[in-house]
Amino acid sequence: MAETAAPRKSREGWRGRFLASPYLLLIPAAIALAGVSIYPLFYGVRASVTHYLYGRDFGFNGLTNYRNVWHDEFFRQAMVTTAKYVVCAVTIETLLGLGLALLVSREIRFGGPIRVGLILPMTIAPVVVGVMWRLLYDSGVGVTDPLFQLFGASPPDVLAHDTSAFISVVLVDVWEWTPLIFLILLAGLQSLPQEPLEAARVDGAGRVRLFLDHTLPMLRPVLFVAITLRVIDAIGTFDQIYVLTKGGPGTATRLISIYAYNTAFLFTQYGQAAAMLIALLAMVMLLMIVAVRMMRKSLR
Amino acid sequence: MSDSTTSERSSRSYTRRQIVKGALGTGAVLGLSPLAAACGGGSSSSGSSGGAGGGSITIGSFSDPAMVPFRDVFLKKFTAETGIKVNYHETNYDAWFQNSKTDGLNKTGAYDIYVMDDNWVPEYAASGIVQSLDKLGLKVNPDILAKGLDQGYWPPKSGPRLQAFANDTPELFSLVIIDDVEILYYNKDYFPTAPVTWDDILNVAKTKSHPPSLYGWSPRGVAGNPIVQTYLPLLNSYGGNFANDDWSPGFAGPEGVGALERLFEFIPYMPSGIAAFDTSQETAVMLQGHCTAMTEYTGTAHVVDDPTQSKVVGKIDFAATPKQVKSGPAIGTFICGIASGAPNTAGAVKFLEWFTSSKVQKEFAGGGSAAVTGSALRDATLSAKYRWLPAIADAVDNSIPKPRTPDEPKMEDLLGTELNQALVQAISQKSGYTQIAQSHLTAAANQITAYLKQQGTYGF
Amino acid sequence: MPRVALYSSIAVILAISIFPFWWMVDTSFKQPVDIFGGVTFYPHHPTTSNYHRLFNTYHFASYLENSLIIVAVAVSVSLAIGTLAAYSLTRFNLRFGLNQSALVIALLVRMIPGILLVIPLYITLAKWGLLDTRLGLILIYSGLNTAFVIWMMQSFLAEIPRDIEEAAMVDGDSRLSALVRIVLPLAAPGLAATAIFSVIVTYNDFLIALSLTSTTNAQTVPVGVSTLIGKIQIEYGPMAAAGVIGALPIVIFALVVQRHFVRGLTLGAVK
Repeated sequence: MAETAAPRKSREGWRGRFLASPYLLLIPAAIALAGVSIYPLFYGVRASVTHYLYGRDFGFNGLTNYRNVWHDEFFRQAMVTTAKYVVCAVTIETLLGLGLALLVSREIRFGGPIRVGLILPMTIAPVVVGVMWRLLYDSGVGVTDPLFQLFGASPPDVLAHDTSAFISVVLVDVWEWTPLIFLILLAGLQSLPQEPLEAARVDGAGRVRLFLDHTLPMLRPVLFVAITLRVIDAIGTFDQIYVLTKGGPGTATRLISIYAYNTAFLFTQYGQAAAMLIALLAMVMLLMIVAVRMMRKSLR
Repeated sequence: MSDSTTSERSSRSYTRRQIVKGALGTGAVLGLSPLAAACGGGSSSSGSSGGAGGGSITIGSFSDPAMVPFRDVFLKKFTAETGIKVNYHETNYDAWFQNSKTDGLNKTGAYDIYVMDDNWVPEYAASGIVQSLDKLGLKVNPDILAKGLDQGYWPPKSGPRLQAFANDTPELFSLVIIDDVEILYYNKDYFPTAPVTWDDILNVAKTKSHPPSLYGWSPRGVAGNPIVQTYLPLLNSYGGNFANDDWSPGFAGPEGVGALERLFEFIPYMPSGIAAFDTSQETAVMLQGHCTAMTEYTGTAHVVDDPTQSKVVGKIDFAATPKQVKSGPAIGTFICGIASGAPNTAGAVKFLEWFTSSKVQKEFAGGGSAAVTGSALRDATLSAKYRWLPAIADAVDNSIPKPRTPDEPKMEDLLGTELNQALVQAISQKSGYTQIAQSHLTAAANQITAYLKQQGTYGF
Repeated sequence: MPRVALYSSIAVILAISIFPFWWMVDTSFKQPVDIFGGVTFYPHHPTTSNYHRLFNTYHFASYLENSLIIVAVAVSVSLAIGTLAAYSLTRFNLRFGLNQSALVIALLVRMIPGILLVIPLYITLAKWGLLDTRLGLILIYSGLNTAFVIWMMQSFLAEIPRDIEEAAMVDGDSRLSALVRIVLPLAAPGLAATAIFSVIVTYNDFLIALSLTSTTNAQTVPVGVSTLIGKIQIEYGPMAAAGVIGALPIVIFALVVQRHFVRGLTLGAVK
């Protein structure tokens, strides 16, 4: 990956060289990112060490918010539920997305409409997705009961029991976001240089070998991006769940986003909500740093 | 004014002086200054302090079907009669809760009137987000049903109080504009006379219902606020309380347990998915003609006769929520406060007095809305047209307010989660109801007490 | 894989993908009483009243207009600056370990929960008088989306071998023109995917738009959809209609952009 920026004869002289200077290319993006993140982060951290009571700021209170949050059983439960949710949903989405991308990446008729049809789920606003699936899962109105009856089972009231509600909610996420992984992996597959694959094929590699030994490794960076993005977004899932189950039944689908949202905006506990979210952010960031390091290492 | 200190935070006491005078209220919390509401907003609001004869007022609200007549009909009427223009901003419930609070905490004056949900009143009054209507000279129409009016007082006239306000005289901080109260909806095909007690409902459920085509009861079961609304009429009717006068939970004793057991008794006659039912699902069962009775707030009353929404047009009748020892519906009004930084308080007062006047309320009820005055709700002609109006009046007179504190949503969340888990357990176990009810109610009681203690504003 | 098996599996998956979408369209043409009237696959008494309500009572047209403008500008800007930054990160060996840390920083920005962003961003916009304006939202979305673009494009750009640009530069191209003429077309599938997803995420953002706008001057489609959720009820009919109308711009955009997913068109040009 080492390469120094030393353009040779440039048609456009010093301007071309300057404009393509590596750091200059980074500046607009750096400004944009700093603009939306520095103050919020600072503000969030400050809020997490402030005592808020009924919306009013009563000054610094050290780590009390963090301590309260740590002892809050609902916070711990929400973190566990979120972890379960993310692992289940993203795993299924990755496998399905990869399969779909492989299926569709060759030349097929109606490729355009098929591809658009496959990404339709993610074009609908998450709130509406939640509402529509609420109807679909509804005992009297939706298709789940008739579907089960078709197979001779008794209608399940999927949203009224802890486990089935959790699975239902994961399924909605899978339905809605597999297209994302599909899209990214498809683009990745389409961008792969063909010569190494051709060479391997010529050398007699079978389909499976080709995929495992050649395609997959080359796809790794893109796969990593897809999974990382999906994990981050899954952790913050809010709209669909809020409309589908509001976090219930009980606390079966109460993700951290819902609990933090309610804590901040319904119970007006800004300090504790900020502490929850900063703690979450720190944990996820740690995870990501480790993951990025691992990916970089594997590419060397 | 003396500081009252709590044992837990000697250096950080929450005193009324601090709240009301907002001394520390740099309002930095949200620190938001919606100058922008004036800058970028479509309707300007500042600098419009007209006298009684002109100028304009700005009203902000959350969107809700119940507010439609207010927005579409009555604002224009007010302008026509008084010459005062009305700017109306409406947004999503959660957003409005935040925006109005911000505007009030910082006194930015983007609005004159906030339309609030009932349980915002304690926080808004205590923190000075809305002004005292008494001090502004608002004349209260005596025709307004007392218990609806009482919801706007701070500290509350009855029930437990925050410690910092223990000895204050109640002042009116917000004025009710819609009496949103729980009433009983029942299908008169199955009830020869209006049901009065829970036993009446249960008997019809036992003898006449045949699930799944006809159920005997339809509740909201979602954890949190929804299921608490189902539980409160039961709890109150058994003589229990959400919170006793000393803030101790009043639902973990025999009354509370009895009330929950009564709900469990209906399990064979209720749809099996009720643990996931919210208002839309609960009402749908009724409107499709699949249920004999339910309790719900008055907001959905008018849809029962709308053929695009109901299959039982003309068949639903209304009564007070069922009795055990008494009838005790919960009340949750739409209620208006005047912003702390309102530019045109005179205009705002005039509007509130106008809208709650007997004449205007009669017109309001004339569209089927839940008016707030006795004369409108009990008017013979209107009641013939809209049979829910007198039921609303009775319900208001019998209503039991929820505990008045900014922590009330958290209390509902804690109780509601346990109630939902109890319901799910009872449905799957089909027995041991007493034990299920007792354990979950006790758990909720302990959680609530612990939380209130942590807040430090209750004197324990 | 035999053709039949291929096409039938695609058909099944397509059906699963599309069915709820169809359900939404179906619901949008039903009366409320029919929405809860049991399972039907087409409206028995079709009505356009939901759409009427949406556009008249709920001024959906304003929300649409705002969304389209805001998204178009914000995504274009973030695509441009994000791709430039991603290019720099994949082609140069920067000091201070920037190659790796820049990615982590971009990721960090993407990870900040909406709830943490909302209040400080409100304060910032208020100070600059940008609340309830399209420009305010455009600036914020441009910033937030840049992180995503960097993260996505760096992986797609990394897939493209340098030799091709090197060859072009030897022939006299400046680095910038090599980027535009050679690399970008090769990265077209990645760019298209990034564009689609950026549009979707920006268009469907809810929390930020909700908190930073207060009137139809700048309120976007998701905010409009949320007004259909009242204190305790949801208006299912108009909600479905909003879902249909709301999804249309994105679907159209996807239809237009999707041809860039096909490799053949682009690689051929280089060879």
